[in-house]
Parts: sequence; structure tokens; C-alpha cells
Amino acid sequence: MQTLLDFWAGYGSTVVFAMVNSFFALSAYAVLSTGVLSFATVAFAAVGGFLAAQMVGKFGMPLPAAVALAGLGGGLASALVAAAFLKLESHWMALASLALVLITRVVALNAPALTGGVNGLVVPQRISFLQLLVLLAVVALVFHRLSRSWYGLAARAVREDPAVASTMGVSPYRIQFTAFLISGVVGGIGGAALAFTLQFISPETYFIGLAFTMIASTVLGGSFHWVGSLIGAAVFTALPVTMQAIVPQIEDVAKGVALLLIMIFLPRGLIDPRAWGLRRAARARQVAGGATQAEPHG
Amino acid sequence: MQLFLEQTINGVALGSLYALFGVGFGLVFATLGILNAAHGCYASWAAIVGYYAVESVGLPFPVAILAGVIAGGAIAIIVDQIAFQPLRDRGTGLLGALITSIGFWIILDSLAGFATGQQSLAFPAASYPSGMTSIAGLRVPTMQIVVIVALAVCTVGIYLLIQKTRVGAAMRAVGWNPVSASLGGVNSRMVILLTAFLAGATSGLAGVLGGIATSNVSFTLGEGLMLKGFAAVVVGGFDDVRGTAIAGICLGVIEVFVAQYLSTSLRDGITYSLLLIFLVVRPRGLFGSASFQRA
Amino acid sequence: MVDRTLEKGAPLLETRGVAKRFGGVAAVDGLDMSVTQGSVHGLIGPNGAGKTTMINLITGLFHPSEGAIRFAGAELSARPPHEIAALGISRTYQNVRLFSGMTALEQVMTGCWLKRGVSLWSSFLGPAARARWRETRAQAMALLERVGMADRADELAETLSYGEQRRIEIARALGSAPRLLLLDEPTAGMNHAEAHAVGRLVHELRDGGLTVLMVEHNMGLVTEFCDSCTVMNFGRLLARGEPRACIADPAVQEAYFGRKNDADRIKSLR
Repeated sequence: MQTLLDFWAGYGSTVVFAMVNSFFALSAYAVLSTGVLSFATVAFAAVGGFLAAQMVGKFGMPLPAAVALAGLGGGLASALVAAAFLKLESHWMALASLALVLITRVVALNAPALTGGVNGLVVPQRISFLQLLVLLAVVALVFHRLSRSWYGLAARAVREDPAVASTMGVSPYRIQFTAFLISGVVGGIGGAALAFTLQFISPETYFIGLAFTMIASTVLGGSFHWVGSLIGAAVFTALPVTMQAIVPQIEDVAKGVALLLIMIFLPRGLIDPRAWGLRRAARARQVAGGATQAEPHG
Repeated sequence: MQLFLEQTINGVALGSLYALFGVGFGLVFATLGILNAAHGCYASWAAIVGYYAVESVGLPFPVAILAGVIAGGAIAIIVDQIAFQPLRDRGTGLLGALITSIGFWIILDSLAGFATGQQSLAFPAASYPSGMTSIAGLRVPTMQIVVIVALAVCTVGIYLLIQKTRVGAAMRAVGWNPVSASLGGVNSRMVILLTAFLAGATSGLAGVLGGIATSNVSFTLGEGLMLKGFAAVVVGGFDDVRGTAIAGICLGVIEVFVAQYLSTSLRDGITYSLLLIFLVVRPRGLFGSASFQRA
Repeated sequence: MVDRTLEKGAPLLETRGVAKRFGGVAAVDGLDMSVTQGSVHGLIGPNGAGKTTMINLITGLFHPSEGAIRFAGAELSARPPHEIAALGISRTYQNVRLFSGMTALEQVMTGCWLKRGVSLWSSFLGPAARARWRETRAQAMALLERVGMADRADELAETLSYGEQRRIEIARALGSAPRLLLLDEPTAGMNHAEAHAVGRLVHELRDGGLTVLMVEHNMGLVTEFCDSCTVMNFGRLLARGEPRACIADPAVQEAYFGRKNDADRIKSLR
């Protein structure tokens, strides 16, 4: 028990941040799992974060309601983004979403009435560990159900080969639009969770750094299964902290090197269901090969 | 009128920096199909190398620029060979190279932080032409003229290289279709290295000149250039250096005038809004030829 | 919108003057074709004749530069692929295009997408969706059984042999219970016995009321299994009608084997 408490004292905030980052990673996964690379999650998070912070700060809304509203706000924002971006070819969509991240910060800086501008906003409430855990569990459950649903099947088909999927009656546009909506809701919730964890947010909170942590987490964990996003967020949040304990100063360098190594040597991420299937097939072949060799003797 | 003309030149010089930086970014995207997030680091590092060449080694100004440019090109080749080469022929697509370039961005930026002691350095005024030059009654900072001339030379040079030489034809072929280009006898490895070097060198030139002009030699230099250079490339169109040059200059002029006559806080907003509008409404840019919209 | 009551023998698919140009090159150049309800129709021709382009035009992956494609009374030429699929057209691909990372069963279940009968939202909320999922899973298993792949249902499709992948692709195409099945070289890479098994499957499907249009290179199979055929060359119609008569047509012979004096000239060059 004592060791558990010690662990919590030392790494409690790392665990909390890993959980918050999980929302962003899942939001990026939601669109990536239909073949869309988008950084727009950061914009959805900003909408959710500032909305929730203002609702709690100015109007005294209870925290859970503010989080729900943040999800709604993120979802609305994502509908607009999807309508504008989904007609673009995939490279261009990635670029457009990156531009959206830049614009989000400029807009936030120039709307001090809503965001506090350069001075940022103090968020008067803090999300408890239990609340955060429940929130993440609910979101994870939704992803779990989705992955074993018609939507999940269609999403995989659209990602692997949109043309073939469309000749089977699946509309890639519709699936990717839905993916954006999911991404927006989860991103908005994540933005609120971040606001209620940091208790201070500013336009810098929702910027490039968040975009890269998020994409890195999703790719590191594996973008072919939703669990990968959770694992990736955990590793990518814990890695700099542990690095700092061993060799301070170079934690960022270590982060970059980790990204490089993973992409080069493990391009499909830590969690990769396809690799398991391939391994199983290879084992089966080996067994079958062994059996045929054994036959002449038996 | 005097102010208007001076501000115009001011804007053209600023835009030339964006364009100079963007040319290489666009070249890598059009030829190698890579969105290189580390492109800004080449500029930061070139400026740092140039700074130490002047400050510690005491090299004269033109040699220091050359040192920075070569450093930018060399780093670009290293990044390409470590981060992008292993992913070629593996079908990880845009995403894989984007991730590894983000990795290098983080590495190079934090190393640049160490190199400058986490602060912003400035070239000593005596080390570069810091005076003013009079042209037709206007007094213009000499550095602005150097920047504008540098952009003109690089744009024309790279345009001629791509359109008129055998190497350029090979670069266009690789950009069009790497597989058939290699079947057609194009040495794609040579093309890759040359493209990477050119991109790093032009980014480096923008970095050294920008570091001098803005008195800011640090890792934030590359980031600032990155955002604006990216906008120049998108607005101008990816597949034509002339478009990037013109768009970059336009952005610079617009920024200076918005800051002068409207408000400083709107400056970045207008650039990024243009960027987004072009991406959504006209993704091939002002001068681009290919269509990037889904059928 | 779609006429569901076509008699056997009525035209199910008709094309009029269909053309598709890429740049200046016409891959299909004014083709008229008619496939009657309840028949197995062969689409044949030398390499590069435009057969696969024709399949892509019918399924909406390409849109024709000119001409009309009518399916059971509905015009197809301006529709997106997923709408055409919903009208009852399903296909396989010349180079097998299964989804990477999916098991054989999942591939076929994806093929059943059009019959899922639940909306996106209820697909993960309601208990009815789970029942429907189990039901479709059973249907997909039955389809795998039909093509002889039931015992490999849980294996990753990409680990299977080429011929096995082709059979899974056929099962996937059948998942949507189509009225017209387009098979693009279904027997490529198969041995004689496997190819004949596919031919027998096609006959069974036809006897069950399905109309089949198949691109096929094996002339033996065409004469044995097709009720009628269309021969293309350079994007144009060369001959049509009964398979044996088509293949015996001198124009077809020439397109396939070249002019006799050409062959002589090649000999003299050696």
C-alpha cells in the first residue's frame, strides 16, 4: 500500500496527463482509422476547452455538464471542418488541418472576451481522478463497441481501399464524415479535460505541441486498434518524465529519437492486430510443414 | 508616399525571406512527396552556424553565409538519409515521413536550444552590411537588398535547373512517378540527394539572412519561417517555384501593410486565413497546374 | 426506380455508345452491349481491349466520357459507386483487391454491408444490431462454405493462396445479394480443376436467378460456361452472340492471332 502511495506521489500527475492525452490520441485515431490524417483535433479541443472553462467560470455550470457541452461544441466544430475539408485529397487535408491549428491560435489570441487572449483563463474547477477515469472508460467503451460494429468494419474497408469499399455500397464520404464527428466530440471532451486538469489555459495550450504529441501517440501505439491510442498516450507521456529522471535536459531529444526509431522499426505501432494474424499464419504453416514431413515415417 | 514606398520594399524583403524558405519546402513536396516538418530547423541551424562562424571563428560575412548554407544542405541530407530513406519502398506514405520529420524537428530544435544557450542571439552589427543604401532618393537597409537579390537569384536558378537541365528533367520525372522514372534510367538516388541538399541550402540561406535581418538567432527563427513559408507554398502552388516566390512576396507586403495600417494583431491572422482559404477553395494555389481535389 | 420484375431473357444491363477517354486515348470507344437477365455473358478481347475499363464504368469507378449505361431501367453513368452497388451490382477485381488486415470472414461480412439493416448509430447501441450481426455472420459463413473456404474463415485473407483469395473475393461480392455479378478474370492464376469449379459455381448462381458478366481469357471456359458473349478490340465492338460463333469469326481470329501474313513475316525475320 505504501509503495502504491509513493508511486502516486511520484507519478500521479503523469498518469493523469496520460489519461488526458488519451482523449486526443483517440480523437486522432477516430479519423485515422478511416484513412484521414487530421490535426484538426487541436481546434476541436480548443473549442471544448474554452467553452467548458467559460461555462464553469462565468455561469457556474457543474463540471460534468460543462464536459458534455464541450463534447457537443467539438462535434459541431467538426461537422463544419468535415464539410469544408472532406472534398480535399488526403495530402491536402493534412495540410489544411495543420493550417487550422495555426489559425485556431490566432483566433484565440484575438478573441479575449471568449478566451482571455494572451493572458489566458484561470479555470476555477479541477476534475477529480475518479471523474477522469469514468470519462475515459465511457469513451473507451464507445470505441470498443464501434470497433465491433458495422461502422468499424466499414471504416477499415474505407481505410484500406476506398474505391473497393464504395463498390460494395459503402460511401467513403459518409464514413469519414462520421469519423470526423466522433473525432470532434472526443476532441472537445479532451480539451475540457485538459482545461480542468491544468486549471489554466491560453491559446498556447491548444497549439502545435498538442498536435504532435497526439499524432505521435496514435502512431506509436498503433493506429489499427483503438487500444493503441491509450498505450501510445501512456508511453509518450511517461517517456519524457522517465528520461528526465535519468538524463535531464535531453528529454525532448529522447522524445524525437523515440519517434524516429518507432516509425522506422515498428511502422504499424505497438498494437497491431494484423501482425498477430500473420504470426499465427506463419506458425500454422510451420506446424503443417512439420506434419507433412512427419507423415512418411507414420 | 515616402513611407509607402519604404514599407513596400520592407514587405518585399520580408516576403522574400518567406519565399526563399518556401521554395525548398515546395521542391521537396513536389519531387519527393514528403511534407517535411523539420524544414524550419535547417534555417535555425544555418543561422546558428553562420553566427558562430562570425562570432567565434571570425570569418568574413560572405563566407559565414556560405558556411550556413552548406550546413543547412548537409543537415537536410542527413535528415533525409536517416528519417526518410528507410521508409522509401515501404508504402508508409505521407504519414510515415511526416512522423519521422516531426521526430527530427523535436531533436534539432532542442539541440539548437543548447547551441544558443536557450536564448536569442544577434549578429554583431559590424559583421554584416548594416547600413542604408540610397536608391532614387529612398533610403533602404542594405540587408533588405541582399535578401531580395538572394531570392531572385535562387528562384531563377532553381527554375532554370528544373526546366532546362537534364538533372531538372530527372527531378520532374521522379516527382511524377518514381517507379517509371527509375525504369527510364533516372538515377533517383542522385535526384533525392540533390533535392534534399537544395532544399536545405535555400532554407539555410533564408535562415542566415533572416537571423541577421531580425536579430534573432535561435530555434524560434525556423518555426516562424516555417509557418509563413508554408503559407507561401500553398498560396503559390506546390509545383512551381515562381508561384512560391510571388506568393511569398505578396504575403510579406500584405503583412507589412496590415501591421502598418490596420493592426499588428491581425497580421498573422490574415496570412493564415489566406492559407486556409487557398487550401479549401483552390488547393493547387495561384499558379499550380495539377488538381488536388478528389474526383 | 429500379425495375425488380424483369423476365428472364429481358435485357438487364444495356450500354449505348459508351466511350471513355484518358487524355487523348480512348480506352472504350462507343461500345454497345446488352446482357440479358438470367444469363452468363462473357466479355472477351485481347489485352488492352478495354474490358476492365468497361467494368469500371459499369460500377461507377470511372464515369463515361459519352454514352449511356442502363441497368434495369435506371441510368448509371452519373451515379457514385456506392449507389450503383445499392442498385444490385457487385464485382470482383482483375488483381484481387481484398482488404489488408481482415480475416476471410470479415471480408465477406463487409460485402454484406448493404444488407446490414441497421443505421450507423444503432449499429453499436441496440441489441437488435447484435442479433443482426450474428445473423449476417452466419450468412457470411454460408457464402464461404459455398466457395469452399469455410475452414479458413478466421485466417487473415492475405496469408491465403491466390486462388483462395479469388474465391473469397467472389464470396464477398455475393454478400450484397446482387442481381448482376461482374467477374473480372475470375480464373486467372487457377489450375484447370479450380477454374472449372468457378465455372460450375457461376452456373449454380445463374440457375439461382443471378445474372453474371465475366471477363475471361480462357476460351475453353468461355465456350463451356457462357451463354452469350461480347468481343471487344481497341475499345470497340468486334463481335457478339453465341460464344462458339464469336470465336470462329475471322475478325476475332485476326484480333487474337494477328494476320496470317504477319505471322509469316515474323518467321522470315528470324
